[in-house]
Amino acid sequence: MALATRRLAAAAGIDRAPFEDFIIDEARLLDERRFRDWMALFTDDGTYWVPAVPGQTSPFDQASLFYDDRDLMKTRIDRLEHPRIHVQTPPSRTAHLIGNVVIEEADQGKGEFVVGSTLIVVEYRDDAQRLFAGRQRHRLRRHGDSFRIVQKRVDLINCDSAFEAMAVPI
Amino acid sequence: MQNGHADEIAKLVEPGRVHRRVYTDPDLFEMEMERIFGRAWLYVGHASQVPNPGDFITTELGRQPVIMTRHRDGSLQVLINRCTHRGAKVVNERSGHAPRLVCCYHGWAFDTDGTLATVPVPEGCGEGFDKDALGLGRAPRVGEYRGFVFASLAAAGPSFEDHIGPMKRNIDDLVDRAPDGELALDAGMHRYVYNGNWKLQVENVLDSYHVPFGHASTVNKQGVQFARREGDRSGAAVVEGEKKQTTASWKDRKSYIVGNGHGWTSNTSLDEGKRSSPAFDEYKHALAEKVGEQRAADVLTPRLHNSLIYPNMSIMGLNIHVRVIKPIAVDRTEVNVFPIRLVGAPAAMNFGNIRLLNVTHSAASFVQTDDLESFVRAQKGLQSRMTDWVDISRGLGAEEPDRELNATRGLATHEMVVRAQYKAWLGYMREAA
Repeated sequence: MALATRRLAAAAGIDRAPFEDFIIDEARLLDERRFRDWMALFTDDGTYWVPAVPGQTSPFDQASLFYDDRDLMKTRIDRLEHPRIHVQTPPSRTAHLIGNVVIEEADQGKGEFVVGSTLIVVEYRDDAQRLFAGRQRHRLRRHGDSFRIVQKRVDLINCDSAFEAMAVPI
Repeated sequence: MQNGHADEIAKLVEPGRVHRRVYTDPDLFEMEMERIFGRAWLYVGHASQVPNPGDFITTELGRQPVIMTRHRDGSLQVLINRCTHRGAKVVNERSGHAPRLVCCYHGWAFDTDGTLATVPVPEGCGEGFDKDALGLGRAPRVGEYRGFVFASLAAAGPSFEDHIGPMKRNIDDLVDRAPDGELALDAGMHRYVYNGNWKLQVENVLDSYHVPFGHASTVNKQGVQFARREGDRSGAAVVEGEKKQTTASWKDRKSYIVGNGHGWTSNTSLDEGKRSSPAFDEYKHALAEKVGEQRAADVLTPRLHNSLIYPNMSIMGLNIHVRVIKPIAVDRTEVNVFPIRLVGAPAAMNFGNIRLLNVTHSAASFVQTDDLESFVRAQKGLQSRMTDWVDISRGLGAEEPDRELNATRGLATHEMVVRAQYKAWLGYMREAA
C-alpha cells in the first residue's frame, strides 16, 4: 500500500515513456557490447551497484557483486576491450528484457527521479545459456532532453547464490 | 581407480608430474572426501562470525554439512548438521541466532552444544531411548588460533599444533594489521563456482607463474596492473616492459613450503613509499597510535602475498581476504571469499578493502574471472586420454633451505608449492581412512 501510494504521488503528471525509453536504450547498449557508450550514460559521480545480499543497505560495509564508480567502470571496460580477456573468449551474448516500469520517486526541482523496473537477462557463452532476473532501480538526473544515471542498482533474486564467472555488467 | 591401494595411488604422483586422473576420476574424488577431507584439519570459519551465544553459521567440511555455534559458555562448537532422528538437515540458514536448533521434520530440539534437549511426544519413546546418546554429531577435534577455527572429522591424527603451527606467523601477519589486533569477518562473502576440480583453485592461490598471462586483461600497455589497494597509484609490474620497470618485477617473488602441503609466496613489489590516501593515512595513524610508529611501519611492510593452509583455505595478503575451497564433485567446486574488517581501522579503510575486493575477487571481478576460465578449460582439456600427465616440474631441484624462516624456498614462478601439495595429498591418500 505504501509503495502504491508513493508511486501514484510521484508519478502524478509525469509521462513514463521517456524514462522507459531511456532504460531500454541503456540495456540495449549492453546487449550490443557498446560498453563505453554505456559508461557515458553515468554522471561523473555515478555508480553501478549489484548487491550480494537481498535488501543490502550499503555498499560500504558489505561485499557486492559489482560496486563500480566511474574509475572502476573504466578499468572494467578497458579489460572488456582487451584482446586477451580469457573469460570473454568467446564473448557473452546477452538479451535484456525490461518491464513493469514505474516511477518511484520524483523531485522535479532537482530534476531527479527513481525509476524501478523488472529485469530478465539471458546470457549465452561458450555453449552455455543462463538466466538472471531481478528488480532494478535507476536514479536518474535530467540532462538536456535526456537523463544521466546517478545510480543503477540491480537486485538479482539469486544475488546471494554462488555464481559462475560474470564478465559483463547485468 | 576402483580399490585405492596405496601402491596404485602412489603411481599417480611422480617427482615433476601428476596423472590427469587426480583431477578427473570420480572414484579418486570419493576417496579424497574420506581420506583428506574426512581427517585433515579443515578451516571451518572465523570466531567473529558467531560473536554471541546462540549465534551460528552453517558451512560444509568437504561434503559434510556442519554448524558452527557459540554456546552459552562462550565455547565454539562444530556440529554435524544432520538430525539424529531421521536425518534431515537441522539448520537451513547460512547464519543466524537461535537459542535452540530445532529440526523442521519432527521438532527435535538441540542445544547449541548439540545436546538433544527436547523430543516432542516423549511418551512415544521406547524403553531404551537414550537422549544423551542422540545429540548432534560433532567434529571430534576443534582448534582455534586468533579467531580462525579449524576442525578435524577424525578422532586421531596429527595435532592442531602440528598442523597449523608452521602457518601461525602467516595468520599473525594478517591479524596484526588490525590496530586492535583483531579481525571481523562480518562483511558478507563472495561465492563463486566453476566446473573444475577443487585442486585447480588450491594450486592457483600460490601460482605466480600465471599472472602475466592469465591476467593479461588486467594490465595496461606498460605491463602494469590496475591499482588494487587503497592508497596505491598503480598496481604491480607483472609483464616485462621494454623499459626497465621502476618497481621490481613479479618474477622476484619467492615461494616457501613448510610441510603438510602449506606454503606461501612473498610480497608483491609495490611502491610502498608512495602509498597514500586519506583513508590509508588515517589507518596508518590509527595503527601507529596502538602499536607505535616502528611496529606499525614493520606491520605495513608487505612480506606475504598469499598463504595456503592446505587443504581448504588461503589467506590473501594483497586484497586481504580469506578464501575457502569447497569440493562439490570431481568437476565442480565452490569457493567462498570473505572480506576482512580490520578492527580498530577507520571505516573508510575497511570500505577501501571491501570495494577493491569486489573488483578483484567477486564472481564479477576483473581478476578472479580469468582464473575461473582457466580452471574450466583445464578441466575440459584434462578429459583428453591422449596425454596422461600434467607437468609440475618448474624449478625441480632448485629448492633451497631458508634457515631463518625454517622453510624451503623457491621462486614463486616455479612449481615447488604444487609438488609440496601433492606430497601432502599422497600422504593422506595412501592410507585407508
